Amino acid sequence: MADNQAVRYYSPRSDFKLDITDIQNFVYDMSRCIKCKGCSWVDHTYMPGAKFMTRCPSAARYEFDAYGAYGKVRIGHAMAEGLLDWNDKALEIIYACTLCGACDVGCKRNLDLEIELSLESLRVKAVQDGVGPMPAHKKVAQNIAQHHNMYGAPHEKRTAWISSAITPAKKADVLYFVGCTASYVNKEIAQSTAKILKAAGTDFMLMPDEWCCGNTLFSVGLLDDARALAQRNIDEVRKTGAKTLLISCAEGYRMWKVDYPKLLGISTADLGFQVLHLVEYVDEKVKSGTLKMTRPFETRLTYHDSCSLSRLSEPWTPYEGKRGWMGCVEPRLKRRRGAQGIYAQPRDILRAIPGVNLVEMPRTRENTFCCGAGRGTQAAFPDFAQWAAAQRLEEVGEIGAETLVSSCPWCKNNFAQAVKAGGSNVQVLDISEVICASIEE
Amino acid sequence: MAISKEIYKALEAVVGAQYISDDPVICEGYRSGPGGYEAGLGYERVMAKVPGCVIMPKTTEDVQRIVKICYRNDIPYVPYSTGFYGPRSHPHVEDALLIDLKRMNDFVLDEKHFYVEVGPGMIYSPIQEECMKHGAYVVIGGGGAQASAIANLIGDGWSPLSHRIGLPHRRILGTEVVMPDGELLRLGSLATSDDPFWGECPGPDLRGLLRGYTGLRGCLGIVTRMAIKTLPFQPERLEPTGISPNTALALPEKRIKWINFVVPSKDAQVMAMREIGHAEIAGAVTKVPLFWRAIAKAECKEEFWDLWSKENEETVANFFIVRVLLIGYTSEEQMAYDERVLMDIMGELGGQARRTKPSDESWIKNADSAGMWLMCGGYVSVDYVIETLTQSPVHGPEYAEVKKKYTPPLMPDYGDPGWFQSFELGHQGYSEFLVYWDPDDDTNPVDQFYVDTSKMNIKNRFYTSLLGPHQPLYLTGPKYGPNYHEFLLKVKNEFDPKWRSHPPVPLAHDVFVERAPWMHHMKDWESPDDLMK
Amino acid sequence: MDAKSKLSEIVGAENFSDDPVQLRVYATDFSYYPAGAPNYVVKPATSEEVAAVVKFCGENNIPVVPCSSKVHFYGATIPKEGGLVLDLSRMDKILEIDPDNRRVRFQAGVTWDKLTKELREQGFRVIMPLTPPAERSVLTDFLEREEPTNQVYDYGEPLQAMEVVWPTGELFRMGSASVNGYPDSPSKGGNPSGPGLDFYRFFQCAQGTMGVVTWTNLKMESIPKMDKILFAPLADLDLGMDFLYRILPRRIGQEVLLLNNVDLAAILAEDWPGDFNKLKAALPPWTLILVISGLLRRPEEKIAYEEAFLAQVMRDEFSTIRLAENLPGFSGLRTKVMSILRNPWPADVPHWKNRVKGACQSLFFHTRPVRTQSFVTKVQEISARFGYPVNDIGIYIQPLEHNRACRPEFTFFYDPKDETETATVRALYREAAIELLKDGAVFTRPYGDLAPIVYERAASYAANLKRLKKVFDPNNIMNPSSLCF
Repeated sequence: MADNQAVRYYSPRSDFKLDITDIQNFVYDMSRCIKCKGCSWVDHTYMPGAKFMTRCPSAARYEFDAYGAYGKVRIGHAMAEGLLDWNDKALEIIYACTLCGACDVGCKRNLDLEIELSLESLRVKAVQDGVGPMPAHKKVAQNIAQHHNMYGAPHEKRTAWISSAITPAKKADVLYFVGCTASYVNKEIAQSTAKILKAAGTDFMLMPDEWCCGNTLFSVGLLDDARALAQRNIDEVRKTGAKTLLISCAEGYRMWKVDYPKLLGISTADLGFQVLHLVEYVDEKVKSGTLKMTRPFETRLTYHDSCSLSRLSEPWTPYEGKRGWMGCVEPRLKRRRGAQGIYAQPRDILRAIPGVNLVEMPRTRENTFCCGAGRGTQAAFPDFAQWAAAQRLEEVGEIGAETLVSSCPWCKNNFAQAVKAGGSNVQVLDISEVICASIEE
Repeated sequence: MAISKEIYKALEAVVGAQYISDDPVICEGYRSGPGGYEAGLGYERVMAKVPGCVIMPKTTEDVQRIVKICYRNDIPYVPYSTGFYGPRSHPHVEDALLIDLKRMNDFVLDEKHFYVEVGPGMIYSPIQEECMKHGAYVVIGGGGAQASAIANLIGDGWSPLSHRIGLPHRRILGTEVVMPDGELLRLGSLATSDDPFWGECPGPDLRGLLRGYTGLRGCLGIVTRMAIKTLPFQPERLEPTGISPNTALALPEKRIKWINFVVPSKDAQVMAMREIGHAEIAGAVTKVPLFWRAIAKAECKEEFWDLWSKENEETVANFFIVRVLLIGYTSEEQMAYDERVLMDIMGELGGQARRTKPSDESWIKNADSAGMWLMCGGYVSVDYVIETLTQSPVHGPEYAEVKKKYTPPLMPDYGDPGWFQSFELGHQGYSEFLVYWDPDDDTNPVDQFYVDTSKMNIKNRFYTSLLGPHQPLYLTGPKYGPNYHEFLLKVKNEFDPKWRSHPPVPLAHDVFVERAPWMHHMKDWESPDDLMK
Repeated sequence: MDAKSKLSEIVGAENFSDDPVQLRVYATDFSYYPAGAPNYVVKPATSEEVAAVVKFCGENNIPVVPCSSKVHFYGATIPKEGGLVLDLSRMDKILEIDPDNRRVRFQAGVTWDKLTKELREQGFRVIMPLTPPAERSVLTDFLEREEPTNQVYDYGEPLQAMEVVWPTGELFRMGSASVNGYPDSPSKGGNPSGPGLDFYRFFQCAQGTMGVVTWTNLKMESIPKMDKILFAPLADLDLGMDFLYRILPRRIGQEVLLLNNVDLAAILAEDWPGDFNKLKAALPPWTLILVISGLLRRPEEKIAYEEAFLAQVMRDEFSTIRLAENLPGFSGLRTKVMSILRNPWPADVPHWKNRVKGACQSLFFHTRPVRTQSFVTKVQEISARFGYPVNDIGIYIQPLEHNRACRPEFTFFYDPKDETETATVRALYREAAIELLKDGAVFTRPYGDLAPIVYERAASYAANLKRLKKVFDPNNIMNPSSLCF
């Protein structure tokens, strides 16, 4: 493209990669933030009014500019240039954030800046510089190293969720990756998922020895540990010959689909198996008539788009290239702007259930206000996680919804805790439970 | 002089420990650049500083107390609503207190009496949404839906919707201003009551202190509360559609509609705007620079350049679009009437209607100003002036001529003559000229171009928006009024004798010229040796 | 050099006077404010002469009272501390008529009569207040914020760029007329604001205290091709207000106003006092007057859609309101009122306000339309307390800005030769102002007795105003003892 210009102002400069292990790859992005705060404001076209105006929980909670992406990238830029040192505040700024992707999608509505990757890279830098992650994260890392799960629970208890009614196959095309939380904390999600698969006539297998997906490790910048885990997990899945890896946790979904390839420098297509969330699977089965949801659920219900299933869920392709004239990149880069997120499928599913009155919150789809729990936040900043959930519950109350449904155990647990603390009587369910209830005889 | 512990404690007592910080990382988060409006340029590099301390008040009383503490202790301070306006909204001296007004986002709407009342933390898109729910609308300034409405109304405040709605100055109703010494000035009906519905003051109108044609960038007080006039709209809902990045408002076709017309010449564009104004129809009328179409079509920066590189001076010079927004304020019949009149006019001028999407991406609830940074990474408007349709169409080509000398580093736009449109039903005209560059390039010529445009305006006797603090005051002052700068400085000295409110504004651009060696050869005007006093 | 010589040198001896007989003309006006005692009057012809006069006065501490009209109701041009009357009536040129931009530029001495006639020849008009006296300065009326009866234009104030003389005697052009070389410039003066500050705002409602406005640009509008004037008799003011809340935001109509029987009778009466009394008795308590017009293009279609809308609203929501082309029992009204609304009040006839009893005092302010009835009731109560017959009060309500606000005007008529009556009205006026102000009425034009009342309540505002005044007029030579200076 630049070769077509009659005048070449200067030579192309930097080589760069979309590689978060080196913050220098994102100096361009961080230095081009225009402080429009589109990363925080709900997309103006969808702005719901004087309430619920923003979608960045960190900025909303801590309020100083430093906590929004507009502040974080300025801080990151200064650090990348060696002009600013880490301190406790800097760690709080970088880590009191769910990396929910609202900023990335908000910015990419108008510009070509990689905000999410910049923020991920800052966490990697924190670890590289020896100041991160937060102590709570180190505890989680220790649990994973020792017990292959985040909670430090006994590894042998990981399959305790399997009831007698559930019979995983020895070999199948579909591998159900349960994840730590559904295995240990939200067994109802694992059980519901298994029942749904059975009802649809789909055989599924489990990993012979399922370990944590490493979401927290990756998200807080412990990349070496995360990479090792990723390689191990992918190898194990490939050994099973699975064609599809099905998962009912949004965070895990994002790890397998997006961040494993990112860690290993490959693309999602190169994994060798398809990564599907339960809602993608169920949506297809319902539309083809294989799965019938007949039992009514009379409720005024709203759906919360779990970040990792929506904004952050587009497949990954590694990229390296040159940035030259006017910042143009060669080769052409098709950026992940969140437009292909899994927004429609869960809604189609819920609308297909008799009796469900699906209403939308003021902030919906790519404008969703994160529950506050994900990607290491709950561990290190439990108050912030609860605060964010309470904010979201205000919206639930605003539209008079009785039931709140999401597609991630993190969301479910954080909301459930906030509901209890706030004394509301909103019913908090995972979509797997709702589907399962509707297909039961 | 950094803010001492005692003064910090005094300020902390006003807002609480949670809302004040002098942590260097927190303060770094408030850096102006290097990206942003007018950023990545010499002015920003030389003049903008990271604050020494940041404070976030909630009420007018908080602001008063903060300003009084600063004034008593000689602490320079800068009011900051969103920070979007670029370096001019950021501290220009070391150890300044940045007063971040984002918490002041109260909102009240009076449906029957067509106004909203807001704090400086309130931006346009939520205001517009609330207005539209109640049969009203406001102008979303071209600066964007993310601009603070108050900051925009005392700084800029127009868009194609100003074709009907008019000067922002008249939409400023009851207002509260914390003056530079911390005293409170209540304007409009707030001067004698607590009802902000009316903007005129008792006798001489001190709303004149809020702005000139453009604003004072916070050097003459902090507006903490403003009632803003809204205008009656039409009653049907505009539904948001699409998923980011392709979101837009679906327009109720019988009550609102954009129509794009191709007309045969620039004269026809001007004539169309004039006739539409004289016919007293339409809600918005504007031409559209050709490259905005490329921006709208492009999925990424590189695609923009693919599209743009297919254009040339001829295609740019021969692209004549007039974009008209019809609004059925009264009824469907009224919009139909407006359309018939519009078609009459276009028929007389040889205009052809093009198929136009029944949606609004920009102007009614969103103003996609952020897209201005897509192409190059650097952007500033070097004029956005309301005058008449006599000045507006001839203004842009003069800029284009000056621009040639400075391209590169300015973006090649094949001599694009900028943007103009009709205002106030044709009583006024508007011209805006936008320039773009890569901030990694040598940007000194952009700084020089900027001041060169001021000289061009003076030479050609154009009115311009870049007066007051926006260009060297001692350059423009003698040539407009004449000597408006003397009166401005006298007023500044009266209300802020210690120059604590955003120093050294309004002399900031003068100081920049003194400090920047690459600007010295531009200075061919007189100014005092000691610019700060 | 003595004042007489110097001033004569500036304006010409024939345009200077210190003759007590001539000066008496300026000592009083139609209000009851006591006579002033000017020392000189000068009649400059150019802005430069104005500047030189003001400069001289400033240097010699001679108060200056600018006066551009021959018709004054509010006492604003009565010199309160002696000094010089700056009579701008010789500056009566229409400097430019610019049809493309619908702009007219004219000097301070241009009257309504002159401007209306000259613009009409080119198919244009200036939106006007209710019955401005023919000999009154148009510039002054807009500067002093006389509200036009036409409220359909969203952009409001028609004032554009002005030229002024500061109290220092400096000539200064504001807004887009500030470009060097104006008017020989592409900038035509269409923008009133700037440069640097919105200086033009300081001159609004200033009664000459901030300086002298020598000329201004003003928006002019096209004369509609077709007009239909409609009347609705009303007994219930609240109902009338509800109706206006409903229709005016839909941008219906051009001129719109409400008059009570007293005011309308005074405006219509030709044969005094018989006509007046008859009309006063026969007219409904309130008359809503609404003009709908067809503009330059497809005029009948515009009228058609407005009529259709009105018909629907009246049928479905306001069935008791009858808006029609004549007031029942008053045929021939439409031509007469149409002419009154589009023309200044002729100079050869006393102004209707002065015809009732010889003189009047008007109390006007801004409020929300929904509060109007309560203010009417309050004024009636106060009047009764002072023994002023309630049925003699003239009331004119001007809806403003799509009826988001309105301007009620209460006129108390009195015989100026009757000292008791005069004193009563003065006392009643003051009391009403105090009570209404307390009740939220917004007074933006503090003439005479109103000034101390308003500025006491707006003390903080007044303090800032004084600071501003100090900047521009440190010796307080411009119309001193007016406003709060």
